[in-house]
Amino acid sequence: MATLYSTHCRSYSPLTPSPSSSSYSSYCSSSSSSSKLGHVAVSSSAPKRFLAAKLSVLSQNQNVARMQDGAVATAVTPIENDFPFKKLKGGLLSEPSTDECKDAVRFDINENESTVSITVVGASGDLAKKKIFPALFALYYEGCLPKHFTVYGYARSKMTDAELRTMVSKTLTCRIDKRENCGEKMEQFLERCFYHSGQYDSQENFAELDKKLKEHEGGKVSNRLFYLSIPPNVFIDAVRCASLSASAGNGWTRVIVEKPFGRDSESSAALTKGLKQYLDEDQIFRIDHYLGKELVENLSVLRFSNLIFEPLWSRQYIRNVQFIFSEDFGTEGRGGYFDNYGIIRDIMQNHLLQILALFAMETPVSLAAEDIRNEKVKVLRSMRPLEIENMVIGQYKSHTKGGVTYPAYTDDKTVPKGSLTPTFAAAALFIDNARWDGVPFLMKAGKALHNKKAEIRVQFRHVPGNLYNRNIGTDLDLATNELVIRVQPDEAIYLKINNKVPGLGMRLDRSNLNLHYAARYSKEIPDAYERLLLDAIEGERRLFIRSDELDAAWSLFTPVLKELEEKRIIPEYYPYGSRGPVGAHYLAARYKVRWGDVSVEQ
Amino acid sequence: MAIRLSSCSSSSATFFAHSSFCHETETILKRKNFGIWVCQNNSNFHENKRFELKASNVQPLKAVSLQAGAPANSLATERVVNPVQEDYIPFLQTVKEESTLSIVVVGASGDLARRKIFPALFALFNEDRLPENFTIFGYARSIMTDEELRNMISKTLTCRVDKRENCNEKMDAFLKRCFYQSGQYSSEEHFLELDNKLKGKEAGRLSNRLFYLAIPPNMFVDVARCAKHRASSENGWTRVIVEKPFGRDTESSRELTRGLKQYLNEDQIFRIDHHLGEELVENLLVLRFSNLVFQPLWSRNYIRNVQLIFSEDFGTEGRGRYFDNYGIIRDIMQNHLLQILALFAMDTPVSLDAEDIRNEKVKVLRSVKPVQLEDVVIGQYKGDCDGNTSYPSYTDDMTVSNNSLTPTFAAATLFINNAQWDGVPFLMIAGKALHSKRTEIRVQFRHVPGNLYNHKSGTDLDNATNELVIRIQPDEAIYLKINNKVPGLGMRLDRSELNLLYKARYPREISDAYERLLIDAIEGERRLFIRSDELDAAWQVLAPLLKELEEKKVAPELYTYGSGGPVGVHYLAAQHNIRWGDFGYDD
Repeated sequence: MATLYSTHCRSYSPLTPSPSSSSYSSYCSSSSSSSKLGHVAVSSSAPKRFLAAKLSVLSQNQNVARMQDGAVATAVTPIENDFPFKKLKGGLLSEPSTDECKDAVRFDINENESTVSITVVGASGDLAKKKIFPALFALYYEGCLPKHFTVYGYARSKMTDAELRTMVSKTLTCRIDKRENCGEKMEQFLERCFYHSGQYDSQENFAELDKKLKEHEGGKVSNRLFYLSIPPNVFIDAVRCASLSASAGNGWTRVIVEKPFGRDSESSAALTKGLKQYLDEDQIFRIDHYLGKELVENLSVLRFSNLIFEPLWSRQYIRNVQFIFSEDFGTEGRGGYFDNYGIIRDIMQNHLLQILALFAMETPVSLAAEDIRNEKVKVLRSMRPLEIENMVIGQYKSHTKGGVTYPAYTDDKTVPKGSLTPTFAAAALFIDNARWDGVPFLMKAGKALHNKKAEIRVQFRHVPGNLYNRNIGTDLDLATNELVIRVQPDEAIYLKINNKVPGLGMRLDRSNLNLHYAARYSKEIPDAYERLLLDAIEGERRLFIRSDELDAAWSLFTPVLKELEEKRIIPEYYPYGSRGPVGAHYLAARYKVRWGDVSVEQ
Repeated sequence: MAIRLSSCSSSSATFFAHSSFCHETETILKRKNFGIWVCQNNSNFHENKRFELKASNVQPLKAVSLQAGAPANSLATERVVNPVQEDYIPFLQTVKEESTLSIVVVGASGDLARRKIFPALFALFNEDRLPENFTIFGYARSIMTDEELRNMISKTLTCRVDKRENCNEKMDAFLKRCFYQSGQYSSEEHFLELDNKLKGKEAGRLSNRLFYLAIPPNMFVDVARCAKHRASSENGWTRVIVEKPFGRDTESSRELTRGLKQYLNEDQIFRIDHHLGEELVENLLVLRFSNLVFQPLWSRNYIRNVQLIFSEDFGTEGRGRYFDNYGIIRDIMQNHLLQILALFAMDTPVSLDAEDIRNEKVKVLRSVKPVQLEDVVIGQYKGDCDGNTSYPSYTDDMTVSNNSLTPTFAAATLFINNAQWDGVPFLMIAGKALHSKRTEIRVQFRHVPGNLYNHKSGTDLDNATNELVIRIQPDEAIYLKINNKVPGLGMRLDRSELNLLYKARYPREISDAYERLLIDAIEGERRLFIRSDELDAAWQVLAPLLKELEEKKVAPELYTYGSGGPVGVHYLAAQHNIRWGDFGYDD
């Protein structure tokens, strides 16, 4: 059910010709009123909206799990029909959505008696300051948080509420497109932020938190979201305490955890087991913030709502797929955590593999979280465990360019001198199923490279019996079509096609059919954390990783990670700011692939 | 054929700053009295290099291999040594023996000649595309001196924006090559005089002659006869370019073809359809056959309908005499749109040779079901008052009879009864005095079966299907409409465009269709000209309909000048589940 109204609160609003349309607001209010409507709303066709909204309030205690119900999607249809498709036309889309979110919130003042308490465990940490609080503020600013919400910071350090607010306020920013009232909004937001200091393994301290939360909830239905922004070794302790001493009495309790989820299959399984002692599967929200990126979200839309891609999406037309992640900086004095994990665990095993699964999965039965995650697990389980010969690892070394000296990885004070931890890795993976048999999926991830980029490249096969082969040169594969989905920076989708250069004569050229987000969509693209937090509040699990998914992902990488560490394989060194070790090219060459990102893009 | 085309005319050396290599070669070769053609063949190597360096998607490895020279050179050599077409050989010979080219514009004082042909010839000259020794002769009935002809021509010549330097100089040089001969179109005697003058210019060298018939069609055969008998080249080739109308129906078209063939061979006849010289029409085959992504899509399995649209935003404006006799169906549909349809729908040809391509086109045209009266809507524009401006109706035109039923607008659904296209409606629309000026191809794909996102796209699934648009004019562009998530929280779909706007990507001015067609005729490249059997097949698609329209005196639906055309189009489209609303309303 969460799906139903989350999509309404957030996305359908702009479809309304006038935001003030009363029937619409009433509908929207129903959606944002509580985070769970239960299956009642399945029957909500347009005329019944208002009724459904009321019913939903009554049925707040429905089990969350049931809300994943696939029928949800169908229920939306009649509502959607109210708004003519034409409204979508036009050049730049700037969206009134946020205003409507606010409308919705205003509307449910008298109706909604549920509360949400968000507890950021590890509030003084870096992630909390840089990402979580700003994301929560952005959601608040856009009116997407429920009416009654409280944000609690929880950490070991002693702090007052005021001190927390000062700390938080430093990192809050207002969206560029929405500066008005920002200061005011910020103050209102900060008034809802509180702090509680306590140990992560003390049930007593959590019980105190519980008491404070109860005060804020004031007897209303309480829903609680814990965001564990703490080191993984205290996950289980914190979960135990939260679950035993600070669970919601009558609403839901959900826990967001972030990577690392273990170091290998065993430790990951142990962590999952630990969490499951105190939480059900549907209470665990494993965040992979890459899944919250706009273009990763769009991947499924592209695949499943465009007929033109449908016949192409298989081994018959796709020659290879590349997942490329690069950062243009090193660990820069923060290598302590990284050195223990390395780039494979940090980026490949989660972010890139998740994107791969979304890219390669079969069409799910519906868009419901469980259906999508089922398909992802299937892909991961069809994959061949990675072998060491299909892998290249590297580590950056110091480099002097134009008088500036860039440090080597091991120059980082927080990294042991003889560290063999890879800061770069390239791998070739294979999915042994009917759709993808034999198609190499190449991954490349690295730090301290020459640019910062995350993209998916799909290289198509060459045209069989191409009439224009003469115009192409010796290597036919150089002139194949290529679909590029650039996740960051400068979100874009483009399809490289062969084209005739205008003019007399017949000269071919690869041009791009492109969609550049900045040019088409005026609105700032929300941060991944905003989307994920909102999803967690709404119980939408699509973008979170299920235990069996995690398990399947680890079993692909664990053997090779073990081998690398046992054999103490030396990484290939590459200069800071370079394109990475040349070994990556040889790896690609073995599968007749050419990295698509080495050419100069315009 | 295509081989030669690519090697010769692709290489305009002077376009690119770093073309010094070719310049050098060129001068050396010229000194040795070689033609410019050789240089262009050689410069192909250079050309490829440029492609590598300039094109965005440079793959270093390839660039290296080309710079090494081996593959490119061998390619270039092959092109010179193995000319496939018979008429390429005289070319090679002429290169050695000093050949000459004489272009005779018959009907030199006419509108077409002044507005299109002479400017196109000058543009080719300006870009060094014409052979070293060429002469241009204007031929018409009016008495004129060479000087007067030059004056007349010089008024319409323009310099390309990107090539202003030396333009006046070039123009003078060009005009010096232009001469005039006055004479009757049916007088062999006068053509003999022309022949003498031509011979004077050719000075005994190998002579190639191109006649451009910019005259009314009823004189085509006479001119062909005179030219054949009195002014044919003795040792080179003689080619004749004719332009529409090629008859009014199957019979008159056959009659014309028979007349021409009395004096000319098939390979001497170059029937121009200038729309086939448009950049994006040329590109259609490249798009189709050099991009794998389009390959599986190009059939009834994925394509729901195809729309071919031609609209002009002006009426006959006092020049309706010719038009009134022909009507929009003959003027636009039977040739331009049908030709584009054939290129769009044809099977992969065996090669890019003209004959192979034309064979495939004929196959498509012969599979098109003749259009029935109920598949057509015809219209005629009526006057309109908009503020202070009043627009005339078609029959207000002085040159049009007052009760004319000639359609100025027509929409028709065509079907190709072959395995690839069975059941896919091809909707053609052509009209004058509409609200916009554009020529485009729209390909609407089917909806996604079992679309997971159906609930996001309203009741009519077909509104959210993919669409490929090839805009031929104005503002050449290719774009593909895809469904996309609107960025932001939540899940809202939107149709965005993957697009390629030529202006943005290719800053150079796109050359006029006539330039391409003239150079092709000079080079004997027949790909873009219409063969007799093609023409015949095209007439058979529309001739029965035209006959019926005229016999039954079907009255056209009147539509307002500057509007979107008669409403009947929507009902015609609705019959085949096509939505016609997009026309002119997006971007």
